[in-house]
Amino acid sequence: MRKIKRIALILALTGSCSLYSCVDLDITPKNIVTDNELLSNPAGMDIYMARMYSLMPFEDFKYMAEWGFEYNGWLNSIGIDGSGESVNRDGITTAFTGERTPYWEKGFELIRDANHIIENLPEFQGNFSEELYNHYLGEAYYIRAMAFYTMAKRFGGIPLVTRVIPYPAEEDEMEVARSSEEETWDQILSDFDTAISLLQSDSPKEGYSNKLVAQSFKSEAMLYAGSVAKYNETVSGRLTGVGRKTGVRVMGFDQARWQEASIRYFTEAYRAARAVMSTGRYALYMKRWLANDPEAQYQNMVDMFSDGSSPENIYVKHYIYPTATHAFDAYNSPFTFRAPLSAGSCPTLDFMELFEGFDRYPDGSIRVTSGENNASGNYLMYDHPLDFFKDAEPRLRAYVIFPFDEFRGQEIEVRAGVYTGETPIKPFFNSYAYNTADTRYQNLSMYNGQDKTLYLSPREGGSQELVSYNGDQMTAAGENGPFYDNGEATVTGLYIRKWLQTSPSAEIGEGKSAQPFILMRYAEVLLNAAEAAVELELAGAGSPDGSNLLQVATEAVNAIRQRAGASLLTDAITGDIQGRNTVRKERRKELAFEHKSKWDIRRWRVSHYEGRDGFWGETRDKNKFSNNENYRLRGLYPFFSTETGQYFFDARFQWVSSKTFGYKTLDYYFEIPSGEVAKSAVIDQQPNR
Amino acid sequence: MGLTMLTSVTFSCSLFEQDNFDAPDVTLAGNVVDVLTGAPVLTDQGSEGIRVRLTELSWGDNVEHNPDFYCMPDGTFQNTKLFKGKYHMTVDGPFIPLLRRDGSGQELADESMVMDLDSDHQVTFEVQPFLHVEWVGEPKVEDGKITAQVKVTRGVSPEDFRDKVAPMGNYTDDFLRMTDIQFFVSYSSSVGYRARDERWSSRIDYPENSFDELFGQTITLVSNGEIPEGRTVFIRAAARINFDTPVGSGTKRWNYNEAKEVLVHQ
Repeated sequence: MRKIKRIALILALTGSCSLYSCVDLDITPKNIVTDNELLSNPAGMDIYMARMYSLMPFEDFKYMAEWGFEYNGWLNSIGIDGSGESVNRDGITTAFTGERTPYWEKGFELIRDANHIIENLPEFQGNFSEELYNHYLGEAYYIRAMAFYTMAKRFGGIPLVTRVIPYPAEEDEMEVARSSEEETWDQILSDFDTAISLLQSDSPKEGYSNKLVAQSFKSEAMLYAGSVAKYNETVSGRLTGVGRKTGVRVMGFDQARWQEASIRYFTEAYRAARAVMSTGRYALYMKRWLANDPEAQYQNMVDMFSDGSSPENIYVKHYIYPTATHAFDAYNSPFTFRAPLSAGSCPTLDFMELFEGFDRYPDGSIRVTSGENNASGNYLMYDHPLDFFKDAEPRLRAYVIFPFDEFRGQEIEVRAGVYTGETPIKPFFNSYAYNTADTRYQNLSMYNGQDKTLYLSPREGGSQELVSYNGDQMTAAGENGPFYDNGEATVTGLYIRKWLQTSPSAEIGEGKSAQPFILMRYAEVLLNAAEAAVELELAGAGSPDGSNLLQVATEAVNAIRQRAGASLLTDAITGDIQGRNTVRKERRKELAFEHKSKWDIRRWRVSHYEGRDGFWGETRDKNKFSNNENYRLRGLYPFFSTETGQYFFDARFQWVSSKTFGYKTLDYYFEIPSGEVAKSAVIDQQPNR
Repeated sequence: MGLTMLTSVTFSCSLFEQDNFDAPDVTLAGNVVDVLTGAPVLTDQGSEGIRVRLTELSWGDNVEHNPDFYCMPDGTFQNTKLFKGKYHMTVDGPFIPLLRRDGSGQELADESMVMDLDSDHQVTFEVQPFLHVEWVGEPKVEDGKITAQVKVTRGVSPEDFRDKVAPMGNYTDDFLRMTDIQFFVSYSSSVGYRARDERWSSRIDYPENSFDELFGQTITLVSNGEIPEGRTVFIRAAARINFDTPVGSGTKRWNYNEAKEVLVHQ
């Protein structure tokens, strides 16, 4: 019955159509939003901008190096990208040799949106004040610069799509080949400069860009470009090549041009950073800082990452509960707070060794025994584990939770095991060299042999081994691990503190966190200026603005060190490798766990074996942490001695869920997605692949 | 509805017809040998060994190569699952590149093969290996340490190397430098860079041109650590020069000698 009714209706409609068929139906459907709605007024532009900003390639709580831009926060960790800052139990702990989702398609989508504004907004110029009109155009150039920059640091030369490509169209109208790497960086420079000339000094709305935001990111991008131009030359055989299809130098720089290009980019990096500094608009966060008070300096650096009014913040990605949230706390808090996971970013001992306040061996590594290195002498004993850290740089304490330190009102008990043998105690292993990295505490005869003196725990709770001590039963591992069969607690003996919510009442869970991610802060601008300054000095180039390059660098580093509670430079930074390394090391420390270091070691070309001595920003013997291909990272494991009631520490390669990192010269330029190469007659693969 | 069912019943037999492309059944077996001696070029298995790259040309100008695969340790390879077609076949390893391009991407020489493959094929690539590594005498075992002796000689003269490699651009004589000898020890008979045991494998690095006077001399290699007694291990030595293949990949490949079996006794 219903069917008949429907047929009748269709017939009736067909009839009515034929009756009125001469009426012109060529009108825009009401359900399609057009330029007329979007580009003609600020409210429409807000919608357009919101879409673009939602596609921005920001590396924050929703970005994982191993996976690329997938715009979700699943398992979000930080520093596990082979930068050496941290590790965790999973396969996502791996060197930054590529991204599961390459930044290609999403990049061109965003670039198209930006080009659309550049081409079509002029039609609506009369609808806006001149200032606002320029600002919107500036945003488009800024966003395009950011997208190009994001691609260039991954791939080198890219297709510079600077117009809206019509579709459908002839093939030669749609195909854009990769430009040379130098042209690519020049386009990025030009887009940033156009943006800076158009943008307002203050963002018209929170989340929008402005002149100084663009200047800051420009300095970062140009530092990358200058470094690549220069340090490609340090890779044996020179890291460059031309595309097979086009003959364009899509990777690296021409032998006759790299030097000039490098100086040009460093000059731009310096200028941009100085432009931000000279406004005096931003300052390092010092609200709770007190001279000679490590506790206050530590607290100051904890607070600065959550204080929305921080004068240091230049550009921040905001989250709002409950609609736009992330899960950083859920994945990275200590084990006892797990909800549903924990310990996603466990800092390494190698990272800790960048910081001041520890006794050292002659080779510069942190001292845990009385001998010449950690395989000799006896373990040093501490009444309380925190005594080991009593002079630690306040900045380190703000970034890393030490064993037994306080977090969210709790003492974070971290203990690798309990030792019941006699004191003094000799190092557990006779070798701590790289080639013995796979030996474990649980393989030691003192653990599994006849005369058991070492107690460890495979897992938490009921799986803990118990040791009688002073009439009580003591668990072998701490409440927060490490557990040798469960990588969900710390795997290095350390937990991350940076970015985590510190209030005991904050709720932890997936989709429960809304703290902001600081994408650009003043400390980085200072470090950009300092590094560009030293590089210009090294290249024998003059100061771009007449300022004293090395003085600017020295003051920048000292301002950061003072805020961090580190010792100040007594002499000015010098224009040599040592001076450069002073700046690099400061950067490694200050900007850790901000998704920045993996780019730094990439542009310095210090990840592959031949360059790896410079991996840490300072010079360290690579053979101590790598073989001729892979490298490993170390943990710091606290043990309790029942004989003395004291703690001692063992420094060894990652004990739980051990990870190795491999990095080759090839990885400095990611593979172009092979499908893109195969389907286009002009897109070149990297010449060395 | 009824009509639809009727249609599908009528034509349902066609649904059961197979529409598959024939499975690939072409086999390509090959070996890589020294052009002077005809001896196989020994290698590692895995991406540090000899890379075999096939490109099926029928897809047109813009074709992408097939997935790479690698030689076995004895310098042979076999792929039994290739589609019929015309292939460009090349190998990259510790020898003078077969396909050479200059700095601007222009092809200088291509000693690769182009062949129509339609059934079973056997090919031989004749190459100029950078180095020869040979055992000298038999390895000795003492206190869980293996001592073995090797001799390293050049497989290609510096002049010949220069003639072929210099036109590729960025040339420096530093490419010819012998950089290191690796002594791989493993429980596995496929011992090599990939299958080495880090605890016992060792290496000797030669800074600058310090190896120049050691070509043809007997070099003594000693394993690291202490290998538990009563086990059989396999050993292999490998040496390389400061030149990456393919150029720009940063992978400097080793020339190997053949694996030896060693019983570790007290």
